[in-house]
Amino acid sequence: MRVSRVEDAIRNVLAILVVAFFLMPIVWLFTTSFKLQRDTFQLPPLWLGFQPTLNNFAFAINQIQVGRFVLNSVIISAGTTLASVVLGTLGGYAVSRSRLRFVSASSYFFLVLLMIPPVAMLVPFYLIMRDLGLLGTYWAVIILDTVYNAPFVVWMMSNYFRTVSTEMEQAALVDGASHFQAFYLVALPLAVPGIIASVLYCLIFSWNDFIFALLLTSPTTKTVPLAIMGQFSTAQLQWGYMAALSIFAVLPVLLVALVLNRYFVQGLTAGATKG
Amino acid sequence: MLAPVLAFVVAIALAPLMFSFFISLTDYRLTDPTQAKPFVGLGNYLKALQDKAVLETLGNTIVFTAGAVSSQVLLALMLALLMSGETRFMRALRSLAIMPLALPPLVVGLVWKALYNPQFGPVAYYLKQIGLSVDRGFLGEFTTAMPAVLVIDMWQWTPLLMIIFLAGLKSLPSEVMEAAYVDGAGRAQVFFYVILPMLLPVIFIGVLLRTMNAFKVFDIIFATTGGGPGNATSVLNFHIYKVGLTFFDMGYAASLANILLFMIGACCAVYIVLLRRQRAAEF
Repeated sequence: MRVSRVEDAIRNVLAILVVAFFLMPIVWLFTTSFKLQRDTFQLPPLWLGFQPTLNNFAFAINQIQVGRFVLNSVIISAGTTLASVVLGTLGGYAVSRSRLRFVSASSYFFLVLLMIPPVAMLVPFYLIMRDLGLLGTYWAVIILDTVYNAPFVVWMMSNYFRTVSTEMEQAALVDGASHFQAFYLVALPLAVPGIIASVLYCLIFSWNDFIFALLLTSPTTKTVPLAIMGQFSTAQLQWGYMAALSIFAVLPVLLVALVLNRYFVQGLTAGATKG
Repeated sequence: MLAPVLAFVVAIALAPLMFSFFISLTDYRLTDPTQAKPFVGLGNYLKALQDKAVLETLGNTIVFTAGAVSSQVLLALMLALLMSGETRFMRALRSLAIMPLALPPLVVGLVWKALYNPQFGPVAYYLKQIGLSVDRGFLGEFTTAMPAVLVIDMWQWTPLLMIIFLAGLKSLPSEVMEAAYVDGAGRAQVFFYVILPMLLPVIFIGVLLRTMNAFKVFDIIFATTGGGPGNATSVLNFHIYKVGLTFFDMGYAASLANILLFMIGACCAVYIVLLRRQRAAEF
């Protein structure tokens, strides 16, 4: 194609501006978390050249005891991710390989499930969990998170398995492997990029979830986003504390996403793009 | 192998929905000390059709979803074309640009609320510097609250669409485009007549993903405006939460949730018909 140097330069400049827009709020969050109260409200905003402090983090760790919220978040998102990826990968494989009409049609059913608004589930689910005595436990949140994440994994993995050739599996079946062996020993290793993508999305959704945790957890099982909200509503303009607490909610998943960023589209576009 | 997930999902997703349908036919208030659940038939549904707040929030839901999906798809398409270069520098920029989608929407909402803050917020400050009036802040004015919330949603989710579209662009066969150039087509022509039609299936997936999530928006509204000012940014999803889980009027909330579910189901049906047609065309 005819691409001139001038155009390349213009593209780079525009792209830098775009990325600046997407990074600005994140930079603001990180800088604010290291600012003293007096610098937080300085105008024009101090992007650099303020006196850094760890006060906000000390507050988050000592006063708020953010550690236990982080632990709750880890338990809930690990449980959700594990359950969703195991159930969803099995289901996705079945949907992509089955010749039964009922099974392949069920992929639509999973899509419909994804569209159920959380509140439509929350009202009855809240009552059921209350009657079962599970309100406020990790289980309640993990189960409901899995209801939303597992269908998404089914959808992604069935797309992904469709792009994986079935020849090797058929060869394995001819050689006397059972269907489960063909899945476990042949198809699964080929689907690793799709599985990584599924883990990534489940982690992001369950770690970042707010509404389910808001209604289904108790003070002892609260997650990090709830701790942030609690802090924000009691002290309206304590941006420094809010920012420091937010770092605990943002950093773990952000790092995972940056490391695994090339996996984001695996399984999402498979099927619509050939290759 | 489908059995475990199907059993789990049916038990855990469908049972509550049935239960929810049953509750929606009763006048069930958690605050009622006698805990009676008088049967009212379709009363809740009839009430909803005349409830001003419901109709208003329903309108907001449609405005939000349509606004979010259309603006983000257009912007993401432009960004994907802009940033499709395979230089090392462009690749680095791309991996930075996707950062917003990994953030908790609640934190995103709180950060933007601070940025918009009319006294101390950087965004408000810079806009004041170029001579715009900010008044009570973008989130506090009736006319600007919804656009301000849409900008937040756009900030968070455009990158996801961008990388989906980029993956689509990369998978297009380059011979077709080269052939078009050789035949003397201009860039705009190549885009509209060659690239866009081939990219449609991917755009379709992007629209689907964003529509599903835009219907469900909750966190950023909770964090920024709480539905206000008035009901200006209260979407149905948020309104149901208020009715059911802060006023504890469970029966009415359940009926509203079912109405929303029905609407989304209708969208789904359209999507499935389109998808089947597309699949049929492929084979």
